Amino acid sequence: MTTPRPWMAPSLLSTFGYKLAYLLHETLLGLRRGGWLNWAAVSTLMVLLFLVGISLHLSWGLESSLGSLGNQLQISAYLRPAESAQSVLPTVRALEHVATVQVITKEQAWKSLLIDMGLRDQAAVEQQLGHNPLVDTLRVQVDNILYLDAVAAALKRLAPIEEVAYGSQVVRQLQSLQETLRLGSLTVTGVLTLATVAVITTTIRLIVMARRREIEVMQLVGATAAWIYLPFVLQGFLFGVIGALAAWALILGSQGVLADLFGSVLALPFLKGIGDPDPGRYWLLPLMLLGLGTFLGTMGSLIAVRRSSR
Amino acid sequence: MMVDSTSPSLYATFPGQERDYRGQVILHRVTKVFPGGTCVLEDVSLRIAQGEFVFITGVSGAGKSTLLRLLYGAEAVTQGRVIVDNTELTRIRPRPLALLRRRLGVVFQDYRLLSNRTVNENVAFVLRAQGMSPAEIRRRLEPTLKMVGLAHKGQRFPHELSGGEQQRLSLARAIVNTPTILLADEPTGNLDQENSLLVLQILERLNSFGVTILMTTHDPYLLAQARHRVLRLQDGHLFDVTPVGP
Repeated sequence: MTTPRPWMAPSLLSTFGYKLAYLLHETLLGLRRGGWLNWAAVSTLMVLLFLVGISLHLSWGLESSLGSLGNQLQISAYLRPAESAQSVLPTVRALEHVATVQVITKEQAWKSLLIDMGLRDQAAVEQQLGHNPLVDTLRVQVDNILYLDAVAAALKRLAPIEEVAYGSQVVRQLQSLQETLRLGSLTVTGVLTLATVAVITTTIRLIVMARRREIEVMQLVGATAAWIYLPFVLQGFLFGVIGALAAWALILGSQGVLADLFGSVLALPFLKGIGDPDPGRYWLLPLMLLGLGTFLGTMGSLIAVRRSSR
Repeated sequence: MMVDSTSPSLYATFPGQERDYRGQVILHRVTKVFPGGTCVLEDVSLRIAQGEFVFITGVSGAGKSTLLRLLYGAEAVTQGRVIVDNTELTRIRPRPLALLRRRLGVVFQDYRLLSNRTVNENVAFVLRAQGMSPAEIRRRLEPTLKMVGLAHKGQRFPHELSGGEQQRLSLARAIVNTPTILLADEPTGNLDQENSLLVLQILERLNSFGVTILMTTHDPYLLAQARHRVLRLQDGHLFDVTPVGP
């Protein structure tokens, strides 16, 4: 053996290269040795991310459904027979949250009714009835579906208006569905997040314990804590990536099933469209899952490593 | 004779900043008491010069291993100061400790080998753990294994080696990063006389290259053969019991 002497310093790039290769090698070795424990961690993460993803997906779908329904849902305000739509129009337009107001005079309504009924001889029908029995109608659209009830009530308070009609029940059901979904997904996400971090922490700790002898030798020969434990943290990060990808694949695969569920079982055919995500949000969901997955994976392994290195 | 390291001649300047303690081991008025109240070292002072070969002997439980553990930072002193190869170990931070350990070699009675790695991998593992390049690892591996007589068994696993070979592998692992100080904790404790002498020969060869060696043993045969400085640890104190030459 030669006397102790410093060796040639390798270039910075190659040093970085083999250090990276070492870390990746150790990380993969850890994954291989983890065995079924890896799958416990990945599958817990996958279930959590799948549920988070699905509830986000549904929530976004419901939101856009409600938005489009809001545009479609109109309040029909029927005036008293003696009143004219033009007289009440400025008052209605001045109401808060009223987006548009369309006037349908009784003459227009009468014409379209006759057309709908397939009666061509208008004069004969009028002769039989004596006069046009319809009243002037206002079709009011609100700027936000949340104010549908309030606007309808305000319209009803106006004296010239006899009656208002709108699909209030559907809206309420949708809103309560959205609220329940949000609350349920928050609870499930909270509980599963704790469970996921616990499972990942336990998995990494068990792997650290199984490699205790190696870690002891590494400590003895002067490996730094970062060098020893970084592969375990990377392993947690990888759990996150794999869990997120698997969850995303599951979400994509389950869209058909979800559409069927809403279409037939829950009798909400208009929610079938939920399966088609908003193009702007298409990449947002996988990115969010990836972010949450890697964050939880890294957190879990950091906790495990911190406890083990004490 | 009790080692009186507090004498002014030896420690008058200790721990002056200007002194160079490279390759040295210094204990200054060290006391080590375990949480249960057992006192293993009591006001012990010691200086081992660079390139010296020192045996520490004493009955089981005297505190020989604890003394070595203090030197590689696995235990902290209760009182006093420890300096190893120019590094003060009192309240040392993890990174400087890791850097110091790269300049030390440690050998144990129970070898502490990685059973699922080959001879080559056991030795290379040390260098990889320190972030060395594969080329550098290859360059160092062969001469190290040759020195301990295991060059032809690089692909064997530890369970395929004899006790003596396992200890020599453990030695190879300790010296592959060319340490300045080697701490050997009863390295011959599980070996027969022949293998013990083989290990001693390797340590003496290392010592001839300038490596400071500190070895604990209670084998009188080895002590008689080697003729190095011998310190006995007894009741928390160190006594110089170096045999007088013929």
